[in-house]
Amino acid sequence: MNGTVTGAPRRPPPLRSMLVQSTWSRRRDRAGFWFVAPFLTLFVVLLLAPLGYAVYTSLYTTRIIGGTTFTGAANYTQTLQSGEFWSGVIRVIIFAAIQIPVMLAIAFFFATIFDLGVAKYGTLFRTIFFVPFAVPAVVGAVMWSFLLEPQFGPFVHLANALGFGGTDYFSSNLILPTIIVIVIWEWTGYNMVILYTALRSVPRDVIEAAILDDTPLWKIILKVKLPMVRPAVVLLVFINTIGALQLFTEPLILQYFQTQAISVNFTPTLYIYNTAIAGGQYNLAAAAAVILGVVIVIISVSSLFVRRRRSEV
Amino acid sequence: MSATTVARPGPEPGPAVPPPPRPRRGGGDEDSIPIEYYGLRRGTVTAVTAACVLFAIFTLIPIAWLIINSTKTQANIFESFGFWFASPFVFGKNFVLLFQNVDGYGVYFRWFGNTVLYAVVGGGGATALAALAGYGFARFRFRGSRALFYLVIAALLVPITAITLPLYLSYAKVHLIDSVWGMILPSMVSPVGVYLMRVFVEVSVPRELIDAARIDGAGELRIFFRLALPLMVPGLMTVLLLNVVTVWNNYFLPLIIFSQNQLYPLTVGLGLWSQRAQNSGNAQIFPLIVLGGLVTIVPLIALFLILQRYWRSGLLLGSIAN
Repeated sequence: MNGTVTGAPRRPPPLRSMLVQSTWSRRRDRAGFWFVAPFLTLFVVLLLAPLGYAVYTSLYTTRIIGGTTFTGAANYTQTLQSGEFWSGVIRVIIFAAIQIPVMLAIAFFFATIFDLGVAKYGTLFRTIFFVPFAVPAVVGAVMWSFLLEPQFGPFVHLANALGFGGTDYFSSNLILPTIIVIVIWEWTGYNMVILYTALRSVPRDVIEAAILDDTPLWKIILKVKLPMVRPAVVLLVFINTIGALQLFTEPLILQYFQTQAISVNFTPTLYIYNTAIAGGQYNLAAAAAVILGVVIVIISVSSLFVRRRRSEV
Repeated sequence: MSATTVARPGPEPGPAVPPPPRPRRGGGDEDSIPIEYYGLRRGTVTAVTAACVLFAIFTLIPIAWLIINSTKTQANIFESFGFWFASPFVFGKNFVLLFQNVDGYGVYFRWFGNTVLYAVVGGGGATALAALAGYGFARFRFRGSRALFYLVIAALLVPITAITLPLYLSYAKVHLIDSVWGMILPSMVSPVGVYLMRVFVEVSVPRELIDAARIDGAGELRIFFRLALPLMVPGLMTVLLLNVVTVWNNYFLPLIIFSQNQLYPLTVGLGLWSQRAQNSGNAQIFPLIVLGGLVTIVPLIALFLILQRYWRSGLLLGSIAN
């Protein structure tokens, strides 16, 4: 540092210059608002306002005869009493409860392997695993529909050859596991890359100290590394939960190819889509969307707290 | 040693002192602890590599199937062995059909053009807005900035249906039904992008640097474009990539808001073909779905490989995120 600059004023600054200072910084902070303003404008107009409009719409009912009338909680009561809506909600909760832990376990396993550098050609595998992230859910679902098709699909031929004849991956028992496999295929690589970068940022000396203490490798991974990447794990649980509860594209596309496999309102988002677009009942659909939003908030936020408590014990 | 070297001011490294260690750059593979130190059992490397091979096969099987079957006729897609080529080889013929209107449902390459437009303008716009907002949130404290930031994060919890349906209803009132802006403008709102850019500015644009520029009298915009933006490039590329992929792969919004198939992006077009495939009179729709799917994913995979350097380091954002 330069001596002339650090020669600080010996007297306290006069009041006037402090005022100047504070208006200057206030003006500067106002500049901060202008950086945020363009995003904020679109955020309010295209996200908050529609959300408010959804809540507003959900309180009214439009009939062909009689027009639009205020009906208060009627749409909510109707949705809450709909067995189809709730069976969809329970289905996506089961889906999330299985798919997310399995996927994160696979992703963490490979992220650890690449971080340790114990696999040959690690960089190549890392790139390969990330490829499905570039595949739209529509294309992913189309490919898997063909691959698992009960009559001509290559996987059925394979199952026959191995002696598991007549496996129908789209039967009512297997359809949820099938979708779980598809979504695991789509998202494991993305989760793996994020966990990998998190693992890379664990300080090297911590690991070296553990090695010098003769800590077994599995203990280093689970007791040293895993706790240090917890923020990344929490973030992934949160993001994946929000996505899983809104499952839509995969079941819709599978429905096109296997009409009998998936009920029309298989997931809550499909229920909302069908109620609004096919049924034209926008008000009812809006109420269902708001209820789904509340379910998402409750489950994803409580999943954060469960994780936090458990890791503190 | 000669007297002249002693007389020189400042330290002179002696020949016996090893060169100082290279400063560590986070994330590089060259950084790894040698695997011998872990005391692995024999065969671990082989077993682990085998696990990688198995998962790589699982990952690549659908894509291999897609490539192979894009060269087949409809009959061969159903009848020949799925994981090998069959004659006739009709890739070229299938490709030409992508330029034609199939059964009146729409022209594939028209959808391709739309998708590029939405992804470039929507994804690029989202990235620009996120860069500005992320910088604003990270380096300024203005009235309500904290509350606003949490509001942006909370928006992640809002289901897409709760935004898309009312958008569709309001588009009718403001004449945005069947307008490209109806797709592009909502695509520019990326709360995740703002969050990531904020985290990235926190770690890569030093506060002292900005203050120094302010003391030198540089304006805030100038500081942002000249000083901060170049430092934000890796994060910017990552966010751009994520935004482009999100728009490219978006299905729900365009499915709801577009009624004319000339405006469809690829996802909605392929979805429409899939829906019609079962009861379509056109004998050639299945090869088109397969080849169309392949052509949809090629540009994104290419983009990934080109920008690899950036997202490898940029995705670190997710890990610092707290």
